[in-house]
Amino acid sequence: MSKLSAEELYIKKDRMRYVKNSACSNLCYLAILFNVFYFVTIYRQDVGNYYYTIQIGASVVYNLIFMLAVFLASEGVKNYGKNYSIVLLIAGVMQIVRIFVIPMGALKATTFVNGEDVAVMGNGTFIKCLVYLGVTAVCLLGSSALNFIRCNQLEAHVKSLEQNKA
Amino acid sequence: MAELSLQHIDKIYDNNVQAVFDFNLDVKDGELIVLVGPSGCGKSTTLRMVAGLEDISNGKLLLDGKDITQTPAKDRDMAMVFQSYALYGHMTIYENMAFSLTLRKENPNVIHKKVLAAAEILGLTSQLNKKPAQLSGGQRQRVAMGRSIVRSPKVFLFDEPLSNLDAKLRGATRREILLLHKRLQATMLYVTHDQTEALTLADRIVCMSMGHVQQVGTPLELYDHPDNVFVASFIGLPPMNFYDVKVVGDTLQGNGFKVSLTAEEKAQLAGYEGKEITLGVRPENFIEGDDIKVSVTNNENLGMNTLVYGSLGSTGVKVTAKIKGWKNYKVGDTAGFSVARKHFFDKETTKAIRGGK
Repeated sequence: MSKLSAEELYIKKDRMRYVKNSACSNLCYLAILFNVFYFVTIYRQDVGNYYYTIQIGASVVYNLIFMLAVFLASEGVKNYGKNYSIVLLIAGVMQIVRIFVIPMGALKATTFVNGEDVAVMGNGTFIKCLVYLGVTAVCLLGSSALNFIRCNQLEAHVKSLEQNKA
Repeated sequence: MAELSLQHIDKIYDNNVQAVFDFNLDVKDGELIVLVGPSGCGKSTTLRMVAGLEDISNGKLLLDGKDITQTPAKDRDMAMVFQSYALYGHMTIYENMAFSLTLRKENPNVIHKKVLAAAEILGLTSQLNKKPAQLSGGQRQRVAMGRSIVRSPKVFLFDEPLSNLDAKLRGATRREILLLHKRLQATMLYVTHDQTEALTLADRIVCMSMGHVQQVGTPLELYDHPDNVFVASFIGLPPMNFYDVKVVGDTLQGNGFKVSLTAEEKAQLAGYEGKEITLGVRPENFIEGDDIKVSVTNNENLGMNTLVYGSLGSTGVKVTAKIKGWKNYKVGDTAGFSVARKHFFDKETTKAIRGGK
């Protein structure tokens, strides 16, 4: 990749005053999509009564809250809202934590289906869940970091413009 | 910028209705041409043919000497500004102005520079993050112009861009268009039915009626030396008064009045002795005098001038006079006027009589 000249760098920063931060918001949408893949994969498993616990109820509620929060944050980062980086950071870290809750727990567990003890989650499904949650976390953390950097750049740029004007 | 040449252009619709007849015009580089005429005269159709939005039935359209008659609209390098602005409501002003360049996949940095430059020219820099709904009509029209400017087209086309604006805003935006033209030195074709816009904006005016070009000339030429009765009646506000008169010696005699001719005017009317002609008098060419007596029907004070409406004695022939100063004629008063400047038209052909010229 060629290095940007000083003028190009200036214009790139100046563009942020008028162009929406769509890269960050798109990463959020991608995170929501992969989270959907994740919970569809989890909930479609025939696992007998393994899921009928408070844990799965909490998981459903968390998915709803997650999607709402990330969607709202996507709108926030679109307009260079710096605080939304924190929301995305928390959501991203939580996705990593989630890997150690249901997928990991389900991988080790067995359940009683048709008179037999069967594994709740096979290795293939576990890897899928791992990938989906991992991609979601990467998208969210990436969006958070990128938004934070861009917001700082924009703030500094606007400040310098104001100083020049003064 | 560019030179545009319209050669023998006709527009015939599928139902055999002909909207434009043998249109010829050479537009010089950087010239602002205004097409003016009443509704349905073919001016917008002509503009749309130039833009490539309508097919040209016959004739040729040349841009910088290159035949573009069959070239699709997108490849003509022309930008059109519409009466209805045609802005995207969900996009910001910046995005609206950048849109055409984004579609062309231009470098975002180049787009940014062009949009900011156009916004600066049009005084829209502080509005760039707003949506069209947050702007006034005049500002929206400026955005529409900005969208054209960023494309750096060879020719700008304006289709009645001020018609949606109120009178005050129309005047202001008109001046902005004029400044824009001076600044960009761009070739522009501008369509309007408003003769005030035509007179104030144009380098040259093309006056049209019923699909035919009536006269092409500078605003002063059209005002001072109209080619025919139509142009004389269309250009000028209030419109010119027309009277059927007979040339009798050194006088013109008509229903209710008699005016004398100067030696120059008599020479101009050589060959019309004893014949009937149409006399045209602009309202502002009436001065207070004794040549004709007008029975006043209305008196409108405009500040510096007074518009006097009336009829010639008891004949019922209407007179509109624009007299300097503040006058207070009452309805039924008799006002005396003289004619300072006369226009003569052949009664049969309606063409101007220019004598030896």
